[in-house]
Amino acid sequence: MAVVTRKNVLTGVRVRDAMRRQVVKINTNEPLDQCIRHAIKYKVNALLVTNADGHAVGVVSKTDLMGAFYAGFSLDLTIETIMVGPPVCCHPDDPLEKSLESMKSFGIHRLYVTDDDGKSVIGVLAYPDIVGLLYRLCRKCKKNLTFKKKGELPDFGEEHIRAKEVMSLSVTAHGTQEPLFDIMETLSAYRFGAVLIRDSQKLPVGVVSKTDLIIAYRHGISADMPAETIMKSPVRSCGIDDFLLKIIQQMIFSDVHRLFVQSEDSGDIVGVISLTDAALVRSGSCRACTASRFLTHRG
Amino acid sequence: MENTAKAVMQTRFTTLSPDQTIKEAVRILQSASKEYGRRVFGMMVIDEEDKLVGMLSMYDIFIFLRPKHIEIWGEMDDIDVAGLIENALARAATIRVGDIMTTGSISITPDTNLMMIVDIMIKKHVRRLPVLDGKEIIGIVFISDVFDYLLEKFME
Repeated sequence: MAVVTRKNVLTGVRVRDAMRRQVVKINTNEPLDQCIRHAIKYKVNALLVTNADGHAVGVVSKTDLMGAFYAGFSLDLTIETIMVGPPVCCHPDDPLEKSLESMKSFGIHRLYVTDDDGKSVIGVLAYPDIVGLLYRLCRKCKKNLTFKKKGELPDFGEEHIRAKEVMSLSVTAHGTQEPLFDIMETLSAYRFGAVLIRDSQKLPVGVVSKTDLIIAYRHGISADMPAETIMKSPVRSCGIDDFLLKIIQQMIFSDVHRLFVQSEDSGDIVGVISLTDAALVRSGSCRACTASRFLTHRG
Repeated sequence: MENTAKAVMQTRFTTLSPDQTIKEAVRILQSASKEYGRRVFGMMVIDEEDKLVGMLSMYDIFIFLRPKHIEIWGEMDDIDVAGLIENALARAATIRVGDIMTTGSISITPDTNLMMIVDIMIKKHVRRLPVLDGKEIIGIVFISDVFDYLLEKFME
């Protein structure tokens, strides 16, 4: 694929501008139960694992915790058993675009930021934080016509990106009666954090996310139970012609990592859009910026 | 007994169980506030064997409810996201006390000096401390009671 370098909204932005300084950590010898509690309470998709000397030695993600549920591990097992290491790190002065590239090439969703000595972790960079930064940059941009002064109606022109342009068409669904085991198998192979649940008439009736699964794990719910036991209803969705800007706003302010996309004609769910998709668009939410998004290979 | 936890601790207290839902916990906090005639914002969480396993306070509930990217709002005055609070509250529906309580909390003994209690409350940002005699929970010290006690002394 030909790579053309053009300026976009993230050009010149450094990791330190987007990183989150609060890093949720856990010790290697703490139980899985504690890890799940932290993931729920602080709404993080992964925790940094440190050893007795305080050095970062690994990462435990919600996917790993879901794997432990699937494998039937006891909640008393120590983090060491399931952690993945070592963490992939970057520097606060690295260009944000370079970091996005490493995240893509490693197939990971976050990088830990280390200080000059390369040992102490001082922050974490994840897709939702990058989307948050894009949102802020777009708001400050004079070319962005969307943000008018208070009281004025937003001017949504054709230059604004719509859901249908960035959504993924591969929506995986399960039935209400299918066991959690099957859902976990799908989620471990699928790049989204949740699956759609359809009833016997094929109507979309709920969603089961990795978060719902690890909560179920902690609450002692068996993985043989049907999807409907833990699914969340209704399905949170947006329209196929909705502006990306509004979708990003909805996702970042209500702590959801994805919205299902509903067709206006049939009312059916035809796609899904995640914060990761929004981060990979990079140009923010309108075409006022040079469109580096055409260069982003979506595979 | 003078100037120790014994002088200020409450020996009548209500506790929570880790399996209760957040809704049940909030109801218990409300009824305890009525019963004791003071606002109760946090409680000890005990297991089936009456062992202290954590503390749940208003703060823990806030941490869970707060949208993660709220800092972006600081720069904006025209944000209007429909159903924001309702969504956060709906998410709490399946959450239990044990999921978000603070564990590893510090406890004191009936003989802990008041100044030591003040020091712990400042350093650890806590407003209430369980009082343990061995493994048995015998009371709870609230920051307001410590303050009232010290003020009384000061005015004498």
